[in-house]
Amino acid sequence: MAEEKPDIGRLVDEQAKAIGLSIAPEYRDKVILNYERSLAIAQPLLAVELDDELTPGPVFRP
Amino acid sequence: MNDPLSKDPLSKDPLSKDPLSKQATARDVARAVMSGQVRASAVVEAALTRIETTEPTVNAFTDVIADRARRRAAEIDSGLHRGPMVGVPFAVKNLFDIKGLPTRAGSKINLDGPIAARDASLVRKLETAGAILVGALNMGEYAYDFTGENAHYGPSRNPRDTTRMTGGSSGGSGASVASGEVPLALGSDTNGSIRVPSSLCGIFGMKPTYGRLSRAGTYPFVDAFDHLGPLARSVEDLALAFDAMQGWDPDDPVCTDRPTDPTLTALTEGVGVLRIAIAGDYFERGAEPEALQAVATVASALGATKKIAIPDAAVARSAAYIITAIEGSQLHLPRLRTRPQDFDPDTRERFMAGALLPGAWYVKAQRFRRRYRAAVQRLFEEVDVILAPATPCTAPKLGQVMMKLGGVEMAVRANLGVYTQPISFIGLPVVVVPLPKPDGLPIGVQIIANHYKEAAALRVARHLEKEGVAAAPPA
Repeated sequence: MAEEKPDIGRLVDEQAKAIGLSIAPEYRDKVILNYERSLAIAQPLLAVELDDELTPGPVFRP
Repeated sequence: MNDPLSKDPLSKDPLSKDPLSKQATARDVARAVMSGQVRASAVVEAALTRIETTEPTVNAFTDVIADRARRRAAEIDSGLHRGPMVGVPFAVKNLFDIKGLPTRAGSKINLDGPIAARDASLVRKLETAGAILVGALNMGEYAYDFTGENAHYGPSRNPRDTTRMTGGSSGGSGASVASGEVPLALGSDTNGSIRVPSSLCGIFGMKPTYGRLSRAGTYPFVDAFDHLGPLARSVEDLALAFDAMQGWDPDDPVCTDRPTDPTLTALTEGVGVLRIAIAGDYFERGAEPEALQAVATVASALGATKKIAIPDAAVARSAAYIITAIEGSQLHLPRLRTRPQDFDPDTRERFMAGALLPGAWYVKAQRFRRRYRAAVQRLFEEVDVILAPATPCTAPKLGQVMMKLGGVEMAVRANLGVYTQPISFIGLPVVVVPLPKPDGLPIGVQIIANHYKEAAALRVARHLEKEGVAAAPPA
């Protein structure tokens, strides 16, 4: 996690372009608010250290 | 008629209620229809009348299928469709397929989608057991909701106080059962959507083990966490419905092929040998006094004093939130691109933000899930059942955006599920028991068991119900 606070508005604008999602101006502020909320809630997960051998929860069985 | 209920001692319950009243449980109705005391047609008419008179107050239903229900009842009265749930009217959250209807999943967009060609798997199973579907229930859009509010169809209203939220996203399920419109409803629970409305509406609710019940024929939200389950006003009704719905289904890739495990007859086993502990640490922080008091009351009734800490529960909640945001948003990205104006304003920007979150967070959350599962499994070597609050508070007001928990201001939508998310994250079975408050609002307690041990959670819930600690009278 970078210590410098990211520019969420810019991140939202550029990432939306990258995935082809057009965000109307009237939605943009709430999208940014919700991204910031997700970033805050994600902190405990981002802070935890995991062993390399841990595989993801879902297992695909062919 | 062969009576499967007659084999268990509970069927002699002298407290059976008038099968045509809103107090009647599913078992009261089934017993009365089975014995010929009342006709299924009369039961259905009584339910349809209750729905008609109660709907202006609670707004639980989006579709009432009166003609179909009457036809089914007539068939039952002519001797068809016998089973342990014969004549029991029930309703389902509107993300379950109902033949001939669009599957709304709380949205406006899905009304333009396909008409369901057949009923969802669990609807078919309940009807095979003799139950009668009477309609589809209101819910938060695409299940991304803890409130029961919906911009398209109006909020479901809490029958205990109609100025308050039902909780969500199975809000109509909570309202229909708590008001007595129907004795039984089905809901879905991805992060708490059965358990939160059960707590806020003061009814019993069950989220079985992940993969225990088939999800075939229901509109998905987050495949990693999606569960289906019953809401009812008695523990026997939860067990009755759960038993009827168990069984492998090739149409749901995660549905277990383990043998079914009947729970109804296990209810009489009591709680004697079960090791019961109270979840401390994370599950004691941020709750309002009434939530903690409810857990203390249940613990005292069970003689439980041992306290345990579920390790990394805060990380589990964080990881559940991230998986939900990314997986749910990816599902809806095509519609976010083409029809953003048709989303509920309370889900649209959350989905949009979720679509932009880093994929690396998702993978890390899924890797953490493996570690957390192993840690919680170690806890279940010492205990059989864990008690925790279901919600941090009683029902907030409709439209309320922020709330204060533990003195900290926070968003209602994001935080009503803080105690449910770390449990569904690894698919543990839970029964929520409601603690009524004569002059106040009810609140629920989670009875959490190890994977596939639904019977243990139900036995504890039944004990609390028998002792008068937990109860769900209709409003």
